[in-house]
Amino acid sequence: MSAADNKNSSYITDKEVSFKFDGKKYIGYKGDTIASALLRNNVRLVARSFKYHRPRGIYTCGIEEPNGIVQILNEHNEPNTRATVKQIYEGIRVSSQNRWPSLNLDIGSINNLLSPMFSAGFYYKTFMGPKGFWKRIYEPIIRRTAGLGKPPKEFRSKSIHQNHNVDIVIIGGGLSGLITARKLINTQYDVLLLEQDSFLGGILKNSKKIEKINNKEPNEWINETEKLIKDSKNIKILKNSLVTSYNFTNHLIALEDKSVGKKIDINKSELTLHKIRTTHTILANGHIERFISFRNNDLPGVMLAASFEKYIHRYGVVPETSPVIFTNNSTTASLLRSLIDLGHKPAAYVDSRNKDKIGRKLLNYLEKNNIPFYINAEVEGCDGNKKIKTISIKKSNKIIKVKSSMLCISGGINPDIHLFTQSKGLVKWDDKLVTFKPDVSFQNTITLGSVSGNYNYEKTVEEINNKLSFLKTKNIKLKIELNDISNFNIKELWETKHERKSNWSKSFIDLHNDVTTKDLKQAVREGFDRIEHLKRFTTNSMGTDQGKISSINSLGIVSKILKKKISEVGTTTYRPPYAPLSFSAIAGRNTYEFYDPQRKTPIHNWHIENKAVFEDVGQWKRPWYFKKFEMESMHLAVQRESEQTRKTAGILDGSTLGKIEIKGKDALEFMNLMYTNAFTKMKPMSSRYALMLGEDGMIKDDGIVCKFNDKHFIVTTTSGGAPKVLADMEEYLQTEWPHLQVYVNSITEQFSTFNISGPKSRDIVSKVFTDVDFSNENFPFMTFKVFDYMDTEVRVMRASFTGELGYEIYITPNKALELWKKIFHFGKAYDLVPYGTETMHLLRAEKGYVVIGQETDGTVTPLDLNFNWMIGKKKKDFIGKRSLTRSDTSRDDRKQLVGIVPIDKSEFIEEGQHVVECERLPKQIRTPVEYLGHVSSSYHSPNLNHCIAMAMIKGGNKLMGSKLFVSSTYGTKNIPVEVVSPVFIDPENKRLVS
Amino acid sequence: MILINCPYCGERDQSEFSNGGEAHVARPENSENLNDKDWGQYVFYRDNPKGIFYERWVHSHGCRKWFNAVRNTSTDEILAIYKLNENPPSKENFTNTLKTPSGEPKVGSGNFTVKK
Ligand SMILES: [Zn+2]
Repeated sequence: MSAADNKNSSYITDKEVSFKFDGKKYIGYKGDTIASALLRNNVRLVARSFKYHRPRGIYTCGIEEPNGIVQILNEHNEPNTRATVKQIYEGIRVSSQNRWPSLNLDIGSINNLLSPMFSAGFYYKTFMGPKGFWKRIYEPIIRRTAGLGKPPKEFRSKSIHQNHNVDIVIIGGGLSGLITARKLINTQYDVLLLEQDSFLGGILKNSKKIEKINNKEPNEWINETEKLIKDSKNIKILKNSLVTSYNFTNHLIALEDKSVGKKIDINKSELTLHKIRTTHTILANGHIERFISFRNNDLPGVMLAASFEKYIHRYGVVPETSPVIFTNNSTTASLLRSLIDLGHKPAAYVDSRNKDKIGRKLLNYLEKNNIPFYINAEVEGCDGNKKIKTISIKKSNKIIKVKSSMLCISGGINPDIHLFTQSKGLVKWDDKLVTFKPDVSFQNTITLGSVSGNYNYEKTVEEINNKLSFLKTKNIKLKIELNDISNFNIKELWETKHERKSNWSKSFIDLHNDVTTKDLKQAVREGFDRIEHLKRFTTNSMGTDQGKISSINSLGIVSKILKKKISEVGTTTYRPPYAPLSFSAIAGRNTYEFYDPQRKTPIHNWHIENKAVFEDVGQWKRPWYFKKFEMESMHLAVQRESEQTRKTAGILDGSTLGKIEIKGKDALEFMNLMYTNAFTKMKPMSSRYALMLGEDGMIKDDGIVCKFNDKHFIVTTTSGGAPKVLADMEEYLQTEWPHLQVYVNSITEQFSTFNISGPKSRDIVSKVFTDVDFSNENFPFMTFKVFDYMDTEVRVMRASFTGELGYEIYITPNKALELWKKIFHFGKAYDLVPYGTETMHLLRAEKGYVVIGQETDGTVTPLDLNFNWMIGKKKKDFIGKRSLTRSDTSRDDRKQLVGIVPIDKSEFIEEGQHVVECERLPKQIRTPVEYLGHVSSSYHSPNLNHCIAMAMIKGGNKLMGSKLFVSSTYGTKNIPVEVVSPVFIDPENKRLVS
Repeated sequence: MILINCPYCGERDQSEFSNGGEAHVARPENSENLNDKDWGQYVFYRDNPKGIFYERWVHSHGCRKWFNAVRNTSTDEILAIYKLNENPPSKENFTNTLKTPSGEPKVGSGNFTVKK
């Protein structure tokens, strides 16, 4: 008793393929799946189960497989691959999952004997305590013993995305899909036919159920149809393409595997993710057989009957020449016939139905062929060590034992309603078919064939003509001859009664997640009687197979326990994806350097040459600091850059700064509304530090506003804030103030910006721009000039980010590098130093300048920062104005900005630490320690030679001069600090205006 | 991923648009005359119904124009699209068949959005 080839199958070729499973070499045929090749080699044990580590074998022949889930070692170590779908090729290396040290000897199988511990809700109940056990003990053990495969070792996406816009999508290239396609050939419709397999035909190739179509052999008819479709101008076929999601507005996602049965070519994309938008979706995706629960229904050797038949016809392998067949319906008749036609004889045929339901024809056939059959009988269970040895059949309370290594079961068939319910279609229970079938479509969805609940292939053509009569097509005529012995005639059966009780004996409802029927009963007993709760409590149908062969069965069992109708129990929600898809498919080309564009300033290469270390600011690459020599640490570099800038001069590449130009008749009024400041009295060609609030009064952004005249402004924004500020301006102009004639435009990339500051900066810019008068009288603080330079227009503004004398230079990016180099040419004499963002932060912190997003976090008003002077109180309105007088924003115990310094000047305050009143934190914290605020910025100031920090603390304004404490990561002792003004350098602003 | 019919560009994928929340919430003109509660109502409170909802959208990766839409929030069907300067269609044009929470079909919470 073992496997045999189906010699009638056209499938067997001389193309042998060698592959490795768990290190051992086997031979299969080209086109074999891992599963069919293993069955051909009589390998029955392929996996250990998820929780109990029980031996498992191949159960199905397709995407629904709950057991045969393997890891492909030579394809980025790809885990959780279905052995029943993945095709082999020369040299593929496959390993089983979830076993240690080996599949045959698995230590985790002790879980099976401890199984009373692992019942429903086990995770929720067991791992509650004691505290700390989860992290140190439970989690590591669970991760080793449970779990599915190992994550890929290295990952490099090789997938692309493709978009389609079509009139009709046909999902499934089986009998109904192909007839529909034939009907649509050379019509006005753009059609896409999606088939998950590498060939068309579906049921025609999977079984012997259909004898002839239009007097032709099914294979001949498939080939003829495929050729007609290919010759048509309007229908495209995508094979190896699995539809995983059916979204709103007829949006479908299909995953095409480009390397089926081939070794992956690392220079080509492995996967294509098709994003399809269609007017009509035709679901012709068929059905999935379901199993039956009985004692040890998970032993290697138990297989769905239709899958067994698929192996015979599709892969030319008879997994066992004399299996036992157990059924509650007539779909197994064609398996019976397939075996007998090949000269094999089933060991027994067990049918739970009575002779009326089975029908005279089938009974005659069994008698004629001398097959031992049992009607009104059930399989009670099966026994064996790592594979079936004996099968116990129960008839009229007697147990009959039959020897066979395989048991083919059919508990009925379910329309594959997954995609239909994803589309939000409504399903209903059919008492005759004992399953859910589509009822009302929500979108333009049509179901055809067995997915619609039509199991009678003779009626397929009629159904298609009827349901597609709204299309401009002709009716199709086809004669379909069946091979079936009798009608479907199912009798409800979810679980058989079993006799023997031992810890090892189990009746499973979910093979993938190791859920038993006993777990369902226990969950209901514990109050989880709603199907969605029960699913989560037991993890039933929550595996990567989503319970495709068993979820309806669990509804049947639960309905019996609750004594309700199945239609009252309802289904759980079907969610995308239909089957697992890898992250690399979703990522497409958006990986590594393509994930997010990098933005570089025109000076970028100069920065690299000058040993800049870069920091990511949004998408921008900004110099963080410059190394003077290779071994210079960040701390030393920043201290050097800061010191030099205050001593002579430093320059910052500020090209990343957002810039927005505002023009139009009503520009002044618009600016007065957008910003807190008053711009009416501001002189032309002057600039101002400005704040933008939300309607809630909280600071959103800051920047410098340059006023050319009442009709023309240019504003800067924070480097990351530009898109949002522009979008807000556009929103208000369109929605609130459409009467204002204003145009806003992003000019961030149109200008490069340099900040030069320090006492010598005037000397340097005077040497660069020799025609411009930089004297304090003619070029005062917060004014700007526009002039021609190097055949372009340059704008220079006197402003400061550091508290020193400073200039901001704007020039077209094409000439930016040339100017930058020129500045350094003249700056050399003054030891001009380039500095990065870290020094920028340090310098502004010394001066008490806040950074939006550092000191502020969306809960800070201008009043909290003592920015009262920036608020145009006389203005009638600006965004957020009214919120500044709300009872909450005008409280004087809000967190306010202060400076803090350590009382012991050798100590350092850490950013993000809490400001508290107590000298020491208690060793054991029982009640929360009262907290006053947090440290928002902290630096070691090279110019003051001690730590300076800014903090947001409750009622900070009133706490000037008081002694507080700051927590530290180095123990319970807090650092004593003094609350001071946040302006540490030049509080009189002498340097700015000199 | 729904399709949205931009009144300026035509049908485009949802990923090109950003949602702007409830429509027809005018910014108060004389906010200084409002008490905290009324101003707070404008700043912080928006409706979030299950069913028919008048809301704002912007074609942010397209023409960058704002417009209004009527959407059934439980089915994601866009029932009407109109420009900012156009009058909103009357609520009577749309039938909200959904009642929360008792009116849902018995079969499956995933099916409650079906038009009957
Ligand atoms: Zn548009």
